[in-house]
Amino acid sequence: MALTEAQLAKYRRRARGGRIRMALSLGATLVGLTALALILGALVSKGIAGLNLAVFTETTPPPGSTGGLLNPIVGSVLMTLIAVAIGTPLGILAGTWLAEYGAHSKLAGVIRFINDILLSAPSIVIGLFIYELMVRPVGRFSALAGAVALSVIVIPVVLRTTEDMLRLVPTQLREAAFALGMPRSLVIRRVVYKAASTGMVTGVLLAVARISGETAPLLFTALNNQFFNADLTQPTASLPVVIFQFAMSPYKQWQDLAWAGALLITFTVLALSVFARALSSRTK
Amino acid sequence: MVDITSDRIETGDRSVARAKALARYRIPDSIFEVLTRSAAIVVLVILGGVILSLIRGALPVFETFGFDFLGTSSWNPAKERFGALAPIYGTVISSLIALVIAMPLGIGIAIFLTELCPMPLRRPIGIAIELLAGIPSIIYGIWGLFFFAPFLQANVQPLLIETFGELPLIGALFAGPPYGVGLLTAALVLSIMILPFITSISRDVFETVPPMLKESAYGLGCTTWEVVRHVVLPYTRVGVIGGIMLALGRALGETMAVTFVIGNVHKVAGSLLAPATTISATIANEFAEASGDLYVGALIALGLILFFITFLVLAGARLLLLRLEKRAGA
Amino acid sequence: MPATERREKVSVRDLRFFYGDNLALKNISLPLYEKHITAFIGPSGCGKSTLLRVLNRMYDLYPRQRAEGEVLLDGENILTPGQDLNLLRAKIGMVFQKPTPFPMSIYDNIAFGIRLYEDIPKSEMDGRVEEALRGAALWNEVKDKLGASGLSLSGGQQQRLCIARSVAIRPEVILFDEPCSALDPISTAKIEELMDELKEEYTIAIVTHSMQQAARVSEYTAFMYLGELIEFGETSKIFTTPADQRTQDYITGRFG
Repeated sequence: MALTEAQLAKYRRRARGGRIRMALSLGATLVGLTALALILGALVSKGIAGLNLAVFTETTPPPGSTGGLLNPIVGSVLMTLIAVAIGTPLGILAGTWLAEYGAHSKLAGVIRFINDILLSAPSIVIGLFIYELMVRPVGRFSALAGAVALSVIVIPVVLRTTEDMLRLVPTQLREAAFALGMPRSLVIRRVVYKAASTGMVTGVLLAVARISGETAPLLFTALNNQFFNADLTQPTASLPVVIFQFAMSPYKQWQDLAWAGALLITFTVLALSVFARALSSRTK
Repeated sequence: MVDITSDRIETGDRSVARAKALARYRIPDSIFEVLTRSAAIVVLVILGGVILSLIRGALPVFETFGFDFLGTSSWNPAKERFGALAPIYGTVISSLIALVIAMPLGIGIAIFLTELCPMPLRRPIGIAIELLAGIPSIIYGIWGLFFFAPFLQANVQPLLIETFGELPLIGALFAGPPYGVGLLTAALVLSIMILPFITSISRDVFETVPPMLKESAYGLGCTTWEVVRHVVLPYTRVGVIGGIMLALGRALGETMAVTFVIGNVHKVAGSLLAPATTISATIANEFAEASGDLYVGALIALGLILFFITFLVLAGARLLLLRLEKRAGA
Repeated sequence: MPATERREKVSVRDLRFFYGDNLALKNISLPLYEKHITAFIGPSGCGKSTLLRVLNRMYDLYPRQRAEGEVLLDGENILTPGQDLNLLRAKIGMVFQKPTPFPMSIYDNIAFGIRLYEDIPKSEMDGRVEEALRGAALWNEVKDKLGASGLSLSGGQQQRLCIARSVAIRPEVILFDEPCSALDPISTAKIEELMDELKEEYTIAIVTHSMQQAARVSEYTAFMYLGELIEFGETSKIFTTPADQRTQDYITGRFG
């Protein structure tokens, strides 16, 4: 049966409308890609201009003079390490409970739900929480408080990936281990963890990527410090907070350093994500 | 016969040895379970801790101002008078505008990636969009301050003022000089930030549409757009809405990207071009220098309000997505 | 084989099994004779795998699954709540449908289970690993690459590795849950040959979809249907002169 002229005309109208709308979706994609290109372009051109050896060897300068970012770099690395050291075991253990013990219980359901909310809760609120918990009682900002605030952000990320990865481990592998008469904790630690290890490492890497750019929770926990400091009980500089302070300032040298720091952070974060992605795709 | 008995004795011995070996594991085994459960409960403790500490910190403010705190916009640390209206207004409006912009873009990109994009390009473009999500928010802030805001100030805002400024009603939205920084700029930066969230969730749920369903629509002679419009979108509605709410939750709580470009002025201005403030920007800017219980309390009270709003939005989003997961599981 | 020599290693008595409120096994009673192979056949969903998973209480891992009745291992009821499941499972090994090597080396796959229960020096461990691999007819194929990952082996080799792993801890009973369903005919033949040797020492139960396999390897066969044990007896008898019409229909391929 051939289509009538009217049917064909209608079809052409439909097809045209469809093409226009699909073209709009292409337009949306171009907008997204353009934004990415503009941001990365600005970052690279400004950042590289500000980057030099002094950035890594000198501490932050007073307004109007030159210097580097040594103290905030060290502060950031230090706090990130401590945050990961606190958050990773907690996140992995909690994720283990959800996947292996709690599974379908009510409590597990509630914890899963709350964790998902913490995963996207405003990080500045986490900062306020740790301020009330660790800064106000002792009356002093400290690197430790900053690290704990970051660890509160690490936990939900690691918990979520751990649970997801453990759930991907085939049930039969677990049963095979149980069938040997293995106690549950050994089944989990020796067999299930081993099978899920790359995925779990990916989760930790993603958590590191997430916190290395976090600024808000550090603003009033670790605060800032113009000088080099390795004492965990003292206020400590971090890259994001220094970028915030320097970028908002009217001084040219400070702004240049802010861009250099921004490039460093972005490069670290993207490298970590790419590495994590490569790791997880290799196992699949 | 003799063989069988000796065999049994050996088996018996082995059982005893095994029982001994196993006894070693019993205590570590239960310790491990207790450890994992305690770690899981830490999640609840964190939530409880956040809520309790915020309430405790905010208490002096609500004792002093009562619910007027929510309804007034004067913010005067010197006279210790605080009202949360301006930051609440700025938070909600900037997020909503960001959502209105990011929603069609994000869904559009997801449609492009799942239905239109040539196969070899899907992965790279998908990754590029996800990179956008990986960039730390402070980078958006610094870029917004040094590049995007001046660009808007020089090119876009004068045009907006010229075009809409004289019109009745909507003219008020575009009144005043082009500051560069302000509500609209913050909303635009936010919209770029939340774009990848909307895209990645939409894309995930689009991929759950059974191929048979799409194929049967194509089989009727539907165009790609018609399949998207009448099959894919209705089928995934709940998930897409969940993703959008999740993005909204992010936008409401976002601090750094906004703080750089909003202008930080405690005023409820009618114009979208005017500088304003949000809850998180206010806290970020003022907290470290705030003195006096009431000032600190007012900022913590703002944090409490923010947490309350985002909690509701995020919980709603999760419930929607959970419902979707259940449906997919059944 | 004269009837007097056979001993009931495992006795299932009046076993009922529930998935939630669903009755999946209805009053099953049957023996597993020591050092013999018993095959369980029947259409999918008849409960044969469920029955196997009761014998080592694998079902205990999951909520809302429970068994009533008795399963006696050497006269002791293993369904009692006080039963130590790890010990029980060390006595009753299991081989699964798909090969399940642990993500570690071939050597460690075997040594791991042994180390759970015994502290033995490296030299003795080497011997035990070799013995287990020989017992599973795998030694000659892997002796030069014991350090390689268990996952690097072929499907058939992986399955024999899993058998070796079970054998290594010297169980008394071995349960095979459709062990050849993921394997090619040549690997299947090797596994069947192996089972024939294993029954010299172990009591074996095998769930299988293939009636030919049941006929080839087992001395006793149980035919199950819709959660019921329809018929149990010597394999030769079940396959030549079944007492029940449904058994007859199944083995002649009229359903299932």
